[in-house]
Amino acid sequence: MNLSLIDPFVLAQDCPEVITGRLRSGHSTSIRFSHRGDLLASGRHDGIVVVFDIETNGVARKLRGHTRQIQSLSWSTNDRYLLSAGQDWKCVLWDLKDGSRVRTVRFEAAIFIAELHPQDHMKFAAALFEDQPVLVDMSADTPVKHTLPTIPRRPPMERENVSEKQAAQDAKQTTTVTLFTPSGDHIIAGTNKGWLNIIDANTYEMKYSFRVGNNILVLIRLTQSGRNMVLNSSDRIVRTIPLPDFSDPKLDFDALQLEVEHKFQDLVQRLSWNHVTFSSSGDYVAASTWMNHHIYVWERGQGSLVKILEGTREELSVVEWHPFRPFVAAVGVDSGRVWLWSILQPQRWSALAPDFVEVEENVEYIEREDEFDIQPIEEIHKRRLDQEDEEVDVLTVEPIKTTAQFAVGDFRMPVLLDIEASDSEDEVVAIGAGQFRRRSPGAGREWMNEEAGAGANGTATPPVNGTKRRRAG
Amino acid sequence: MTDRNNSPKRPREEDGEDEFNGPPRKRSASRSPPANGSPTYRIAERPRRYSHEDSPNEPTYYRNRSRSRSKSLSRGDSVSRSTSGRRSRSPPPTPPPPKPTKLHYRPTMILRGHKKAVSAVKFSPDGKWIASCSADCTVKIWDAQTGRLEHTLEGHLAGISTIAWSPDSRILASGSDDKSIRLWDVSTGLAHPTPFIGHHNYVYSIAFSPKGNMLVSGSYDEAVFLWDVRAARVMRSLPAHSDPVGGVDFVRDGTLNVSCSHDGLIRIWDTATGQCLRTLVHEDNAPVTSVIFSPNGKYVLAWTLDSSVRLWNYIEGKGKCVKTYQGHINKTYSLSGAFGTYGSDPPHEYAFVASGSENGDLIFWDVSSKNVLQRIENGHSDAVLSVDTHPTEKLVVSGGLDKTVRVWRDTTKPPQAAAEIIAVEAVTNGYDPDVLPPNPFGDI
Repeated sequence: MNLSLIDPFVLAQDCPEVITGRLRSGHSTSIRFSHRGDLLASGRHDGIVVVFDIETNGVARKLRGHTRQIQSLSWSTNDRYLLSAGQDWKCVLWDLKDGSRVRTVRFEAAIFIAELHPQDHMKFAAALFEDQPVLVDMSADTPVKHTLPTIPRRPPMERENVSEKQAAQDAKQTTTVTLFTPSGDHIIAGTNKGWLNIIDANTYEMKYSFRVGNNILVLIRLTQSGRNMVLNSSDRIVRTIPLPDFSDPKLDFDALQLEVEHKFQDLVQRLSWNHVTFSSSGDYVAASTWMNHHIYVWERGQGSLVKILEGTREELSVVEWHPFRPFVAAVGVDSGRVWLWSILQPQRWSALAPDFVEVEENVEYIEREDEFDIQPIEEIHKRRLDQEDEEVDVLTVEPIKTTAQFAVGDFRMPVLLDIEASDSEDEVVAIGAGQFRRRSPGAGREWMNEEAGAGANGTATPPVNGTKRRRAG
Repeated sequence: MTDRNNSPKRPREEDGEDEFNGPPRKRSASRSPPANGSPTYRIAERPRRYSHEDSPNEPTYYRNRSRSRSKSLSRGDSVSRSTSGRRSRSPPPTPPPPKPTKLHYRPTMILRGHKKAVSAVKFSPDGKWIASCSADCTVKIWDAQTGRLEHTLEGHLAGISTIAWSPDSRILASGSDDKSIRLWDVSTGLAHPTPFIGHHNYVYSIAFSPKGNMLVSGSYDEAVFLWDVRAARVMRSLPAHSDPVGGVDFVRDGTLNVSCSHDGLIRIWDTATGQCLRTLVHEDNAPVTSVIFSPNGKYVLAWTLDSSVRLWNYIEGKGKCVKTYQGHINKTYSLSGAFGTYGSDPPHEYAFVASGSENGDLIFWDVSSKNVLQRIENGHSDAVLSVDTHPTEKLVVSGGLDKTVRVWRDTTKPPQAAAEIIAVEAVTNGYDPDVLPPNPFGDI
């Protein structure tokens, strides 16, 4: 509702400029915006997942269940569920309505990334360290893991005469990143040998492969429409690739040709990139730099560098762009803070009084003919009231397109009043008037010992056994 | 008054237009005498909302009248209805189906229990409860259907001027003259341990954001604060006004706040940045005591101490007053009211503005035609300070200086049938639901 009142020049800006705030709760290692953009999930070094309310910059929820650093986060489309993957080799699906653990899925390997299915929050795809990527179906109490292929699909003629050496090499490939297309029918995966694979999410069949380079693909992100992809590779190049509409039934994967649209790199300093993200519209690509304090922002039209976001005194790891505002959040590596960049809106003085006008230079005032005529007050009142003859509609709500609106029945984050009292990450605790002591290690971490509690969700041991059996066979 | 639309003054409209959009100097010149003349006077004249109890000119006559009136209420009310019918006889052009020209709100309950004047009443967003706050330092929560007193919330150290429901109806916030804002758990009736402390003077008005994560408050200390509800801390202080802030509200999507003040200004703020986006001033510069957004968020409705309620279009141009509703008396107290709906389903649903009056009346105006749809004469035996409408049903609740909370229901029955219905009036003392006579309107 505020858009009609804001300076159009401010609204036209679509790239953040200055640091406007920072969020702090423990040492953050991973962040992700919710789809509606009002919440920011932050995974911490101590395994706690914190959900920030972007409107108040306060903590909306704390989720305890991981024992080690959070590796990746993924929101369900309705923003009610959050999937976190930790370095304790497990993924947890959280219900933000009550903060409970819906499912806990354990793996036999470290997890690079776990991404929720866009339509079905009980499915996710995960890339594992030196293991096959999996698609996990959690709809039953015991999660079912489907192994996804990693070996690239080569053109038919190549497929026939695969050399021994090549086959051995293919077998050594591992998938380093997975994510779903917006329809959820396909999984896009990247491997450590620079292959980009497209896998059918229903048949787990390799549909298409494309070699981007020789180096590890670290991260893949799509625009909201799914028609553009940005790839971060360890060869210090950020690539953007336009994609076809995968939900189109007429799409022929054999005839598909992907082409790299832009290669963003820093040729002088040979910077490598920690993390990449698309802007809300997909017009910009932002990347945080390794061993450097900057975020580079390129625009995709010309492929030129348009801005370097700076102001922190530390290296930044994960960088995320707000789903519809010119607003960027990034995690500081050293402090664990979340830094926020946005646009500063100058106060328009003309808004402070209706007779204020902002002018470029002095204007000579020309008074109206009857400006200082004295008229009977009654007359003025009557005339004024007579003018109020327009029809007004105070009920009809006009839909707003740009921002994600809450529909009736949508999930809303409950407001917890005791969230600050439950804050246990502070290292000092007050023990009296003006007296503090260091928190004893392990205090306030009782949840770590409740492994049996996870069993109540029916997920504690069976999946582990299941995995073992499968691998043994 | 309702005939003004058909006034023969039309031909002079153009002159009036110039006058209305008068240039700056004219406005400031015309307003300066009253502004200079009486700032302190104004504040003194309109002290706290409920302090009428202490005022020496409180006539016992009112109480007597109220008692005698309640005996013969059926008669008196049917008379008032017929007069209101006559008053709003100039009907607007009738689209099919015809737009109703009258409302028939009838008393259904009187909730007694407050020991001092009732300063605000509010239906909960889920429609189940009525909350009322009073100068007796308590908030009471009543069942909206039966009138049973559910909770009496005690904890404030001074009179309470304002209450607000959280959007999920689980939390009630109250702002008091003890300078604090408290949150109450509606199911248990217990106060949240940490009150919101930060205002330097009486808290006059509060409102929750649509998500319930923020609270805006306006105070006698001239400040508007945005609170983070979860952390109970001031998120942002808006350098709002140069006189006590009378009313605040959130727009339906939470991106804007509005505040109004005794300095005569209504300001619209951007929630995210805390910047003033618009200032609305009427030429007369009368103190603005209460302000709300329209249900669709495109207009603001403001009560001023010149006995007017004005509807502003704040989006167009520099903001423009599109309607002035008059006919009530409002010179001393901070009256507040609400938008309600009448007619049938959305294509033929119309809006009305409900307000109290300092002579004890309740008045419902049609939003577009400004016609009085109903005037409940002597609805209360003293000034009606607060009126609210039910979120889904045709119910209105009012509270006033006579210490009572009254609930009114729209009877769609034809007027001649209403005379019999009204003979059995449901009156409860608010403590004992079993004494309630059968409610004739319960299933309408």
